[in-house]
Amino acid sequence: MKARYLIWLLAAAALMLVPLVSTTSFQHALVQAIIFAIFAASFNLASGAGGMLSFGHSAFLALGAFATLHVMRGTESGANSVPTVLLPIVGGVIGLVVGLVVGYFATLRSGVYFSMLTLAFAELFHQLAPNLSFLFGGETGLSSIRMPSLGLSFATDLHVYYLVLAWGAICLSLLWFYMQTPFGRLTLAVRENEQRLRFLGFNIHTTKIIIFATSSSIAGVAGGLLAISNESANYELFSMTYSANVLLYTFIGGAGFFLGAPLGAAILVLTAFAVTNMTHIWLLYQGLLFVLLMMFAPRGFGGIIARNIELYREGRLRSLVVPYLLALVPGVGMLALVIFVCEALSAFLSREYAAKRVVSGGSFVPAEFLGTHWDPSSWVTWTLPAALALVCWLTLPPAIRRIRTLLSPHV
Amino acid sequence: MEFFVASVVNGLLYGMLLFMVSAGLTLIFGMMGVLNFAHASFYMIGAYLGYSLSRFMPFWLTLIIAPLIVAVIGMFVERYILRAVHRYGHMHEVLVTFGLGYIIHELIKMVYGNYAVSYQTPESWKFTAFTLFDTTYPFYRVMIAIVGTLMFSLLAVLLRYTRVGIVIRAAIRLPKMVEALGHNVPMVFLLVFGVGAWLAGMAGALGGIVLVTNPNMALDLGIIVFVVVIVGGLGSLEGALLASLLIGLLSTFTVGIQVSMADLLGYLGWINASSGSGGLMNVKLSTFAAAVPMLIMLVVLLIRPAGLMGEKQ
Repeated sequence: MKARYLIWLLAAAALMLVPLVSTTSFQHALVQAIIFAIFAASFNLASGAGGMLSFGHSAFLALGAFATLHVMRGTESGANSVPTVLLPIVGGVIGLVVGLVVGYFATLRSGVYFSMLTLAFAELFHQLAPNLSFLFGGETGLSSIRMPSLGLSFATDLHVYYLVLAWGAICLSLLWFYMQTPFGRLTLAVRENEQRLRFLGFNIHTTKIIIFATSSSIAGVAGGLLAISNESANYELFSMTYSANVLLYTFIGGAGFFLGAPLGAAILVLTAFAVTNMTHIWLLYQGLLFVLLMMFAPRGFGGIIARNIELYREGRLRSLVVPYLLALVPGVGMLALVIFVCEALSAFLSREYAAKRVVSGGSFVPAEFLGTHWDPSSWVTWTLPAALALVCWLTLPPAIRRIRTLLSPHV
Repeated sequence: MEFFVASVVNGLLYGMLLFMVSAGLTLIFGMMGVLNFAHASFYMIGAYLGYSLSRFMPFWLTLIIAPLIVAVIGMFVERYILRAVHRYGHMHEVLVTFGLGYIIHELIKMVYGNYAVSYQTPESWKFTAFTLFDTTYPFYRVMIAIVGTLMFSLLAVLLRYTRVGIVIRAAIRLPKMVEALGHNVPMVFLLVFGVGAWLAGMAGALGGIVLVTNPNMALDLGIIVFVVVIVGGLGSLEGALLASLLIGLLSTFTVGIQVSMADLLGYLGWINASSGSGGLMNVKLSTFAAAVPMLIMLVVLLIRPAGLMGEKQ
């Protein structure tokens, strides 16, 4: 177990030290990554652990952000004096209160009805927010300025980073301890068998409301942190985009594992930041990754890792090393093929390309993607994907067959 | 009076469009217990296909081909994607359809750009059907309502009086039993999925002209369509029609009513009307139009959880 402590120590040290040596834009990306890690962890409490799939979690992120901004504006004008470090509590409280009300109605039904109710509530906020300008600042939104607190000026992203990191540690530990309590076990039981719990005498409705409100309260804290980091918010925070993304982060990371959601969110947010200059269809890749995982590895990356650790403990991982390496060939080939096809389509169908064609009199001029120019009349442009497809088609079936036989329980 | 008639006509029209999208969804939902989150995306694909195809071929041919392509896409999704994740449980089926909707949204943005395209009534179809109180009603809008009515009648007759319809209705109630009686239930699922997608594609190809064809149309309509399914009741075609018309009418009426709380109180003589602006009292009722379907759904869920025409599960 010493190795485990060492890993935690190294991770903590990395989280403390990495921003000190990185650029401001990367510091900002790290701040966003941690905020969305908290948001995903809160989402996972209701949706992963509690089995209540919510499609409207962004509502609580947004409410937390707006409530925090109102308090920040109050501090700015001298009406109140809440220290910046404690501001996320405001988001947490509003998340809890609204979570109790929305949760009361939404948890009246379970399953897909619950999902649709959460979606409807979030959309209700999204539709009303731009019209209620005294609460949400209309279309432009609200903005404010962070005040110095605890001797920190909060003028740079670095200060914000440590604040967000501290709150991230607090929220994740709270969620971890929550899962260790008897109520945490009850949360899992709600997912596994609601009917049996009812027979055991538990009040399912109250239990679900508490789970939902806890989850939305943590989401509100994440919203508060987002408000501190961006110093502004507008009604687009209520939109489906954030709810959809947090769902993708959580299930790509692995909803059944405590660290699956936060790690999935942090890694995907940082990846999105890393590839912004390379591609503008990153969300498409993210969606493809999600659907492929749901089809072939329903427990997400967490599930894949857990399965391989299991195999290692059983001593079967060694025999899989060679097949895994062989599977790498079609795996990388397919990845390259998909990226090539998507980037090519995106480039050839873009407005810029259409404009280029008009300028050159309607002929098919070369398009720029993946860092070079590709000429549609050159044979290289078409042989490359064809060759990739051929390689995948030849190497994929045997690789899958071999891994399947080795993984089957009878071996 | 003019406002009333215009609202009724527009409301019915919107309601018929809603019905065309929600009919397939409610049947699939009833049969498989899977709420297809990508269903509204089929509607969006129908609209964009209609836009693309109508530039190359006559409009009537577009209206035949575009929905057929959407039906093929829908059947492909059922056969190769939904059926593959069926063994992981309902939650995963919902997640996969959600992911598909996400991908389709991104694909549409990639192919057509992140803005509305100009999908418009062809010139030869632009003529007036009738005039009411100085307002002319284009033939095209009337046609949508007629097509919607035809679809409902056709489906109702098919479901009630044909052998396939009886099997479908039985499969909605007790799929296991129907399978045990020797009917090919997976094939029935595939068929219904195809028909549902075809209807959604038709609604898109027709409605993309009236409602704007943009990458967010699936989400905007999708949420209202879910509301229709819940309000109408699980797997009930009549319920879907009733709920669609109800929501269509109520939404159009609230959009047209420019009354705020302050106006109302001022009318009753309680406070000075319209003093100041931006407060809750001065928010016009019309701004809540988008919220009307959600409010109806909340009320129905609280007083009649199974929906208007649904039976107790």
